[in-house]
Amino acid sequence: MSNGIPLAEALARYRPDSDIGSLPELADTDTLLNTYHPDHLRDSVVKLAVGANTGDHCQHELAGLLQSEAFIDEADLAGTPVTDADVLVIGGGGAGCAAALAAAEKGARVLLVTKLRLGDSNTVMAEGGIQAAIEPDDSVQRHVQDTLRGGHHAGDPALVAAMAEDGPEVLRWLIRQGMQFEQTPSGDLHTRRAGGMSAARLVHCRDYTGLEMMRVLREAVIQHRSIEVWEQSPAVELLSNEHGQKCVGAVLTSLLDDQLRIVRTRSVILATGGLGRLHLNGFPTSNHLGATGDGLVLAYRIGARLRELDSFQYHPTGLLHPSHLAGKLVTEGVRAAGALLVNGLGRRFIDELQPRDVVCAAILRECSEGRGIRIDGQRVGVWLDTPRLERAQPGLLEKQFPNLMTRTRVSGIDPRIEPLLVHPTLHYQNGGAVIDTNGATTVPGLYAVGEVAGGIHGRNRIMGNALLEIISFGRRAGIAATASRDRGPKKVTLEHVNRLRRALTLAGMPLTQRAPRILPDYAAGGVWKR
Amino acid sequence: MSAILSKENENAQQPDVALTINGLAVNAHTGMTLVEAAWHAGVPRVTSVGCMEGVCGSCRVMLRRGKDVTVGLACQTFAEEGIEVVFMPPASAPRHHYEIGDFKDAWDIHARFQDIFPEASRCRHCHGCDSACPKGITVENGVALAAAGRYRDAGEAFFECVMCELCDVACPELIAPAHVGLFCRRVTAHFHLRPPNLIYRLEELRQERQSVALIESDEEK
Ligand SMILES: Cc1cc2nc3c(=O)[nH]c(=O)nc-3n(C[C@H](O)[C@H](O)[C@H](O)COP(=O)(O)OP(=O)(O)OC[C@H]3O[C@@H](n4cnc5c(N)ncnc54)[C@H](O)[C@@H]3O)c2cc1C
Ligand code: SF4
Ligand code: SF4
Ligand code: FES
Repeated sequence: MSNGIPLAEALARYRPDSDIGSLPELADTDTLLNTYHPDHLRDSVVKLAVGANTGDHCQHELAGLLQSEAFIDEADLAGTPVTDADVLVIGGGGAGCAAALAAAEKGARVLLVTKLRLGDSNTVMAEGGIQAAIEPDDSVQRHVQDTLRGGHHAGDPALVAAMAEDGPEVLRWLIRQGMQFEQTPSGDLHTRRAGGMSAARLVHCRDYTGLEMMRVLREAVIQHRSIEVWEQSPAVELLSNEHGQKCVGAVLTSLLDDQLRIVRTRSVILATGGLGRLHLNGFPTSNHLGATGDGLVLAYRIGARLRELDSFQYHPTGLLHPSHLAGKLVTEGVRAAGALLVNGLGRRFIDELQPRDVVCAAILRECSEGRGIRIDGQRVGVWLDTPRLERAQPGLLEKQFPNLMTRTRVSGIDPRIEPLLVHPTLHYQNGGAVIDTNGATTVPGLYAVGEVAGGIHGRNRIMGNALLEIISFGRRAGIAATASRDRGPKKVTLEHVNRLRRALTLAGMPLTQRAPRILPDYAAGGVWKR
Repeated sequence: MSAILSKENENAQQPDVALTINGLAVNAHTGMTLVEAAWHAGVPRVTSVGCMEGVCGSCRVMLRRGKDVTVGLACQTFAEEGIEVVFMPPASAPRHHYEIGDFKDAWDIHARFQDIFPEASRCRHCHGCDSACPKGITVENGVALAAAGRYRDAGEAFFECVMCELCDVACPELIAPAHVGLFCRRVTAHFHLRPPNLIYRLEELRQERQSVALIESDEEK
């Protein structure tokens, strides 16, 4: 993509007080989405040939991983040390910590294993806030409607209702754990209204909501007597019973010493988060290093049904510059506070608070039709007009967005003076494992919560619902997993791995690729030979 | 000149810098963070990395420039000529234990704090924590506020804390300032955050559930 207005020219033209014109009428969102949204790129989607979703559409790079060979086979299990736990939680982000705490509150002995450090997650990076219907002019009903509408009515109404109803209680639980939120002078929780919301519903802790949530939950988990934590211990496979029909544990490896370990348990809660680090369709990402979609691969191999595998959220405003922050987010809160998007001609081109997929498609349209701002041969973006916001509300950026200010300051950029160059970035996996209101997947013994689960956000997530979902469903699954009263596994096997391998062979598919990915190639130096 | 333009011009030239990471001599480009430099050069097992934007506190490094030794976050530090970088091992398990659910009475909280963090009142004001903190937090002062029972103010001092625990490593009295800070923030919310709008909605929902339950039990009869 080499068309676009050169940076120097666009900068010379830019003024924070210029007339940016009236907003052009948005003719037809469907055509806009179908033409420019990355989900609809030609050749981006294929049909799955094996497994529980045979015949369903799936993003092609993800399909390759879902239909691939495992890391280990039976020979690897002989002599591997075994640990027993009542509940095994895989993933140390917000969902995993909430699940572990809920299970431990119910008296279970919990083992939480995580790939990197406890708290290295997408959760810690969330800035904008968490949704809950608490204002007088708002209701759980409206929260449900907004979520379903935002998701293009592809979400599961029962799951959405469960989450929205939990909203206020989730806030109370978080406050009990010791999480702080922004308050109004009279002590109410401060709320904002963001894209797709019919009322102010976004509760936040300045622009560090995820950090505040994560550090409190991390501390609560570390301090809890009944929760043991293993870091640098990614799950590389699940274990099934002798019929390959029930999940009874997992196999972990260690990034420190490569030692395999078996965990045997009555219930496994997958909370492995998203997949931005797969860089689908070649996009940069806002996600943390560990977001490689491992949970989807593990769940699919053991037979769980997944959904919306062709639908991803590209956040409209990823930073294009500086390069070491490429793909990193400028929170939607900045647009909610009034910042406008402006193209290289100095014109506004979309209502900034439209749903994210629409705004994203509009930016990609500006870029591909030559109205973007071009840094070099590859990088084209549009302005996020922060100086104009600063003029309208002096001091707001410093006060409400300290995170953004700190990050840009390191690179010598001052968003109060210069507009930010932004481009859509791979942000969120809309779909995931099919679950019920307890977070149970279609495979007995296996739960999935948080970003790895699907069904709530349909084909598009509105801001603030992910942080609500991880606590609401994390706790639901933690409680449900503890209720299971069976005596635990007699035998742990890799029967499900054999089953998928047979299916792949029958379908004539090559077994060349191994999954889960665990780390992107650029960070896997010295860890393994894939 | 605009900051974007000058930065982009600098990137375009990309002069090489030589440094060492975990004992290996490597080359990097100006503008690369130490994380990028380590990966670019294939330094094995650099997995204490999470967010790459300075909020998760994982990428703790020891930095040596000549005789000068400091600590920092690798994703927030740029490659520079001659610098020696060592990625630090994961922090050891904390030595202070409490479960917030065990606290029943806010009037006792200072006694509880002293039980849990007895070292906090022994701060020797060496500034070790302040110079270690990559976020410029006034850690020493935060600890002093906590020791004086000013939990809200102490917690506020730790607002931008990213849990790197570099201050814990630096503290000769083993005070664990990072955990002191979190304790202060947590008890402030736990005992004092009582927002009327949330409380009102919780009660409304409770009553709704109750009346639904009543109707349902009527129908069953
Ligand atoms: C930059 C950014 C900003 C965001 N802002 C908001 C916001 O304002 N509001 C909102 O509601 N949502 C926001 N989101 C989305 C939201 O933060 C995430 O969807 C949510 O936190 C996911 O939580 P999780 O616990 O499911 O996954 P994560 O928090 O990502 O945790 C997953 C954990 O699993 C671990 N893991 C992965 N694979 C394995 C494996 N094989 N074995 C063991 N462990 C593994 C990971 O290392 C990680 O610790 C944002 C996301 C990003 C990236
Ligand atoms: S206060 Fe301590 S843990 Fe927090 S950021 Fe500073 S050095 Fe790291
Ligand atoms: S490092 Fe420890 S002893 Fe030194 S000033 Fe900080 S808290 Fe006090
Ligand atoms: S990687 Fe998170 S702070 Fe550096």
